[in-house]
Amino acid sequence: MNKHSGKWKLLTLLCVSGLFLLPLFLMLLASVKPAEQLTSDPYSLLPESLRLQNYQEALQSIAYVKYLANSIVLCVCSVMGTVISCSMVAYGFARIEWRGRKVMFAILIGTMLLPWHVTMIPRFVLFSELGLYNHLAAIILPTFLGDAFYIFLLRQFFLSIPEEISEAARLDGLSEFGIYWRIILPLSKPALVTVAMFQLVASWNDFSGPLLYLSDHAKFPLAYGLEQFVSSYADQTHLLMAASVMFTLPMVILFFVAQKSFTRGITMTGSK
Amino acid sequence: MSARSKRMHRWSGWLFVSPWLLGLALLFVYPFVASLIWSFTEYDLLTSPRFVGIDHYERIVREIIQGKGFGKALWNTFYYAAVSIPLSIMLAIGLAVMLNWKVRGQAFFRTLFYLPSMVPMVASSILWLWLLDPRDGMVNGLLGFVYETPPLWFQGIQEGMSFSSPLQFGSKDGLTLMSLWGVGNFMLIYLAALGDVDASLYQAAELDGAGWLRKFRYITLPMLSPIIFFNLILGIIQSVQAFTQVYIVSEGTGQPAEASLLISLQLFLTAFRDLEMGYASAIAWVLFVVLALATWGLFRSSRNWVHYRGVRM
Repeated sequence: MNKHSGKWKLLTLLCVSGLFLLPLFLMLLASVKPAEQLTSDPYSLLPESLRLQNYQEALQSIAYVKYLANSIVLCVCSVMGTVISCSMVAYGFARIEWRGRKVMFAILIGTMLLPWHVTMIPRFVLFSELGLYNHLAAIILPTFLGDAFYIFLLRQFFLSIPEEISEAARLDGLSEFGIYWRIILPLSKPALVTVAMFQLVASWNDFSGPLLYLSDHAKFPLAYGLEQFVSSYADQTHLLMAASVMFTLPMVILFFVAQKSFTRGITMTGSK
Repeated sequence: MSARSKRMHRWSGWLFVSPWLLGLALLFVYPFVASLIWSFTEYDLLTSPRFVGIDHYERIVREIIQGKGFGKALWNTFYYAAVSIPLSIMLAIGLAVMLNWKVRGQAFFRTLFYLPSMVPMVASSILWLWLLDPRDGMVNGLLGFVYETPPLWFQGIQEGMSFSSPLQFGSKDGLTLMSLWGVGNFMLIYLAALGDVDASLYQAAELDGAGWLRKFRYITLPMLSPIIFFNLILGIIQSVQAFTQVYIVSEGTGQPAEASLLISLQLFLTAFRDLEMGYASAIAWVLFVVLALATWGLFRSSRNWVHYRGVRM
C-alpha cells in the first residue's frame, strides 16, 4: 500500500464520520438557537446567539426531573433484576448437571424467536389482573424472571471457567449457592458488566413498556415523558432538541465510559 | 461425588433456573395459549370473551386481498423490510471494511461511526422528525437545490417510491434513513469477522493477480456470509417489531394515509385503541406463522449461499 492511498482512505473516513455525526451536531446546535431563528431561517447552520436558557426552559416545561427520577428507578431495579436472575439461571444451565437440562435450554433458545406480539395482550391482561397496571413494577417485574439472550451470553461465559475451581470449592464444603455467589460471580465481572450495560440502555430507551402500562404522568420515565411533548411542543424545536440532548447525553457518556464492554457484548452476539 | 450430593446437585439445578421457569410459565406459555384461544373470540377486555370461530382469520384474508387494514400494514412492513434490510447490510459491510483499513485513528473512527447507534430511539425519532420536516427540515433544505417539489417524508401519502415519481421519498423511506443511521451494531459484528479472515487467503489471491473487487467477491463476502445470514434474519424480525420510531413519527396513528402504519403499530392500535383483543390476537398469530415460515425458508436456502468454515450445516 502506498502513502497516497493511505491519505485517501483517511479522507474518506473523515467524510463518512462527518456525515454520521452531522445529525447529532444539528441537534446540538438547534438546542442553543433562539426560537425565532429556527422558524425564520430554518436552514442556517450556526446559532445567531448562544441561548443556553433553552435548557432551563426545557427543564421547566417538561417535568424533566420527575421523569428522570422515574427513569433512574426503572433502570436501577431492572439492571438488578436482570443481573441477579440471569446469572442464577445461567449458572444452573452452565455448571450443574440435571436431567432435562438440554431440553429446557432448547426451550430457552426457542423463546428468543417468539415475537413479542403473540404474548403482548395476555401479558397485559395478566399484569392488569395482578394490579400492576400504572405501576413501574409491571415493567420491572419481568426482568427478575430472566431474559433468554442475557442468559445465553452469561452461560457461554460461565462454561469457559474451569470445572476444577468448582470441584475445589466443593471439597472445601462450599454449597452450590456459595460457589455461584463467592466464586463464579466474582470471576465473571466482565460478562456481568456487559449484561448490566445492555439492560441499562434497554431500560433507559424503553418506550413501549411505559406506553402500555403507565397512564399517570407522575410515573412516566424520560423516554415516554419526552414523547408526550412532541405533539404539544411541535413548534418549539429549540426546547425539544434541548430535552433530547439531555436525554441522549447520559447514553453517550455511558458508551465512552464502558466502550469495551459494549463492543465485546455486541461482537459476542455475532459469534455463535 | 457421593450419591447424596449428586441428588442435591440435580435438585439445585432446577432451583437455580426457577426464576426463568416462572417467567416461562407466566410470560410465554400462558400468553401463548391464551392468545391462541382469544384469536377465536370477540374480546374487549371489559366483558368476557365470546366465541366467534374463524371470523377473525377470514377478516384477515379479506383485508389482505383488499389491501386494507392488516393487508395495508403487511405491505408497508414488506416495503420497509425490502428496502431497509439490503441497504443496511451493504452499509454495515461498507463501514466495517473502511474501519478495517490500516490507518491511524482506527479506534477513534469506530467510536464515531457507532455513536449514532447509542442515541435512544425516542430521541433519534424526534431528531429525524425535525430533520425530515418537509418545510423546515435541513434535509429538504439541502435537497431543495435539486428538487422542484421536495419530498414530503413523514407527511407523504404515497405508497412508496414509484416510476412515475421517483425519489419522492415518503414516510417508509424516512424510517429507512433512520435505520441506516443506527447501523452500528452490525457494523461492529462485521468488523470483528473481518479481523478473523485469514490474511494468507488475500496474499494467495494477490499472487494470482486478483484485484480488490475479486478479493472482496471471492474471499471477504463468503467469509462474512454467516453474519449476513444472521443479519438478514434479525433484520426481518426487527422490521416486524419496529414500533417506537413508527409510533413517534406518526404521533401514534400511522397517518397520513396509513403510509407509516407498520404491522406492530397496527397490532397495537387494534388492541389498545379499538380494544379488539380477539382480532389483534389473530393478527399476532398470523404474523408469528409468517415469520416462522420466512425464517425456515431462509434457513433452507442458506445451505446454498452461507459458507461455514470447515463445518457444513
